[in-house]
Amino acid sequence: MTIRDMIHSIGDIARRECIRIASKPIYLFTMVIAPVISLVFFLSLMQNGLPTNLPIAVVDRDNSSTSRTLIRQLDAFEQTQVAMLTPSFAEARKELQKGTVYGIFYIPEDFEQLASTGKQPKLSYYTNGAYLIAGSLLFRDMKTISVLANASVGLQTGTAKGMTEEAIMGQLQPIVIDTHAIGNPWLNYSVYLNNTILPGILQLVIFMVTVFSIGSEIKQGTARRWLSMGHQSLWVSIVGKLLPHTVVFTLMGFLFCAVLYGFNAFPLQSGWAPMLVAIFFLVIASQAVGVFMIGTLPTLRLGLSFACLFGMIAFSIVGFSYPLLAMDPTLQALGRLFPLRHYFLIYVDQALNGRAIYYTLSEYIWLLGFLLLPFLIRKNLKQALLYFKYVP
Amino acid sequence: MLDFVKNGLRDMFHIWREELKSVFKDEGVMIFFFLVPLAYPVLYSFIYNNEVVHEAKMVVVDADNSPLSREFIRRVDASSEVKVVQQAADLGEAQRLVDSKEVFGILSIPESFSRDLHAGRQTTVSLYSDMSALLYYKAFLLTATEVSLDMGAEWTARNHPQSTEQLQAIAVQPIPSENIVMFNTQNGFASFLVPAILVLVIQQTLILGIGMSGGTARERNRFHTLVPMMKHYHGTLRIVAGKSLAYLSLYVFVCLWVFILVPRFFSLPQIGQPLDALLFLLPYLLACIFFSMTLSVFVRDRESPMLLFVFTSVTLVFISGISWPMYAVPPFWKAAGYVFPSTAGIQGFVKINTMGATLNEVAHEYRTLWMQTGIYFLTACAVYRYQIIACRKRLIARYREMKAASGR
Repeated sequence: MTIRDMIHSIGDIARRECIRIASKPIYLFTMVIAPVISLVFFLSLMQNGLPTNLPIAVVDRDNSSTSRTLIRQLDAFEQTQVAMLTPSFAEARKELQKGTVYGIFYIPEDFEQLASTGKQPKLSYYTNGAYLIAGSLLFRDMKTISVLANASVGLQTGTAKGMTEEAIMGQLQPIVIDTHAIGNPWLNYSVYLNNTILPGILQLVIFMVTVFSIGSEIKQGTARRWLSMGHQSLWVSIVGKLLPHTVVFTLMGFLFCAVLYGFNAFPLQSGWAPMLVAIFFLVIASQAVGVFMIGTLPTLRLGLSFACLFGMIAFSIVGFSYPLLAMDPTLQALGRLFPLRHYFLIYVDQALNGRAIYYTLSEYIWLLGFLLLPFLIRKNLKQALLYFKYVP
Repeated sequence: MLDFVKNGLRDMFHIWREELKSVFKDEGVMIFFFLVPLAYPVLYSFIYNNEVVHEAKMVVVDADNSPLSREFIRRVDASSEVKVVQQAADLGEAQRLVDSKEVFGILSIPESFSRDLHAGRQTTVSLYSDMSALLYYKAFLLTATEVSLDMGAEWTARNHPQSTEQLQAIAVQPIPSENIVMFNTQNGFASFLVPAILVLVIQQTLILGIGMSGGTARERNRFHTLVPMMKHYHGTLRIVAGKSLAYLSLYVFVCLWVFILVPRFFSLPQIGQPLDALLFLLPYLLACIFFSMTLSVFVRDRESPMLLFVFTSVTLVFISGISWPMYAVPPFWKAAGYVFPSTAGIQGFVKINTMGATLNEVAHEYRTLWMQTGIYFLTACAVYRYQIIACRKRLIARYREMKAASGR
């Protein structure tokens, strides 16, 4: 077969594939509609970056002007909203169990009087660990207000003793921590989660569509016809078949990047090129993994189940929410088998931190390395395409 | 009348048996009814089992290099969350270590650290954290803050000796405070996320399994409808009841594994009353089954459920209000969440299982699930009724065609 023939066959097969895609609405749904629904969903869900006005209950056993000031200040925080004011802790706890509030701030009896006479009244704040995000955000606000309360009382007594503010603060809090969250100083959850969840959805649908499109050739008994169009060459047949998918998925990937970095203006320290290349590599690496899946399990339903399960696990094992290095060592090795893991590392280096490309090169190479996977199963896949009989 | 009921029951049990048989014969359905519910909860528990980040790696730039600054570093290193792996000469070198991912945070102690402290001034320690994982940031911040408060308090106590211990404490901390974390006391990741995943796995595997067996039925049946043309498959009610009973009887065992054994193995929080959990899971299972049966009408062939429904799983975790708080979910998505039994199911189950709520506290979710059960039962009946009629119509059309052909 000459190069000319090859290009010709690839073109023919690609045209045939376009017709197959157009004739089944499920392709349109999985390749375009599902990713777009996810895009709209996740970005609109987290559009504020951080959840705002999370309800808490305040148990005010003091009911003095000091305690009311404290409550007002707490309410003024962006993340916190005092939704319930009650003298009874049992009642507040009940609301916590119902899930109507995520935290309780407890001001003890005679707080004002004890504080002004130096009797050290204790503030307590309860957070609900079952809602991790809400719990930690409220922890932050309630801790801040407690430290502020401490400082303001300290200042009052200190000033009464004739100390300067500098000296008082040096006594109250000699060491201060100044925190810098590199790349995402707002602690924006949308930046933190969507930069990985959305490519993860893309990876999942690529796995499924790749397996589905090759698997249904076997199921419908059209595989021989397809292979003969590629002059019995597995590579020509596969490239021709997957080329239209590559185009659609790459466009979807670019759309994701455009919405994340353009429309939402998420951190993009590296400029566009490294991320556009990364998402293109993610697309072709995922397609290669898809070919590998159907090559290993040439029954459509088994191959597709493999694709689903592997694609879903990716969201956890990639380690963007719970870091991979904190997992069991076996899982750390397993993590490398997911294209999304390498894409995530590229994102962290390039878009989030703008590091020199030198640090990231190996991840790009990893993604290209996935292209070797189909070679491992070429015999198995060709056998399946030629002789496999679909058993329903 | 009695005969009618007797026939109905006989047909129902016939359909029940047939459905069970077809489930066990179909390896694709078996994957979703058994393999996934068996393996997934274990896998997810294994992934998140370490619960919290231990020994997050950090580099220190100590410009002061005094006994005080070394003491500070030693204390940070001694915590279980953070490990100081290296000292760097300057911020540039430290930055390079972060870039090459050998460490995830930098602690920079200023040259004036001990001078400030000795002069009774406030001193500032800078913390830089890589934001690839929020849990690292949290570990660094909490540890550094804790060490700074402890060491600061001790320092003040040493420099401003008061006549009594009482006065001492007041000078350092006029208003002490404490944080109590409830229900998931170590703020663990598995205890937070895995219960939600457990509940979701039930719904998603039912959708996929029932969808798949529906797709198979369509591929096999003569007129590509959900219902075969056989004498036992005439009444809508007996089909829906028979099939749902089959799924229910299988999933009782699945639930036993998912909700009782897996949490035990991985010592996830389980403080709810077993009876409340059981009463709550019943409408959840029923709602999921009828919901899946309704959805199965959209499935033309056996593989399409995976393409149609799998991508929703991540979305449904977020819409359930466990990770992203329900109060921050926009109204439109909150409404969309009511379509899926998993939303109320996850909320209610987490409250009962993790937070020890009783059915009283989850009344809203419980009612929602029973309403969904009712609505999806009706839609499932409607769908099957439509399928029976379609099947009959095609049969009659076919019969006429053949009659016309033979009459010619």
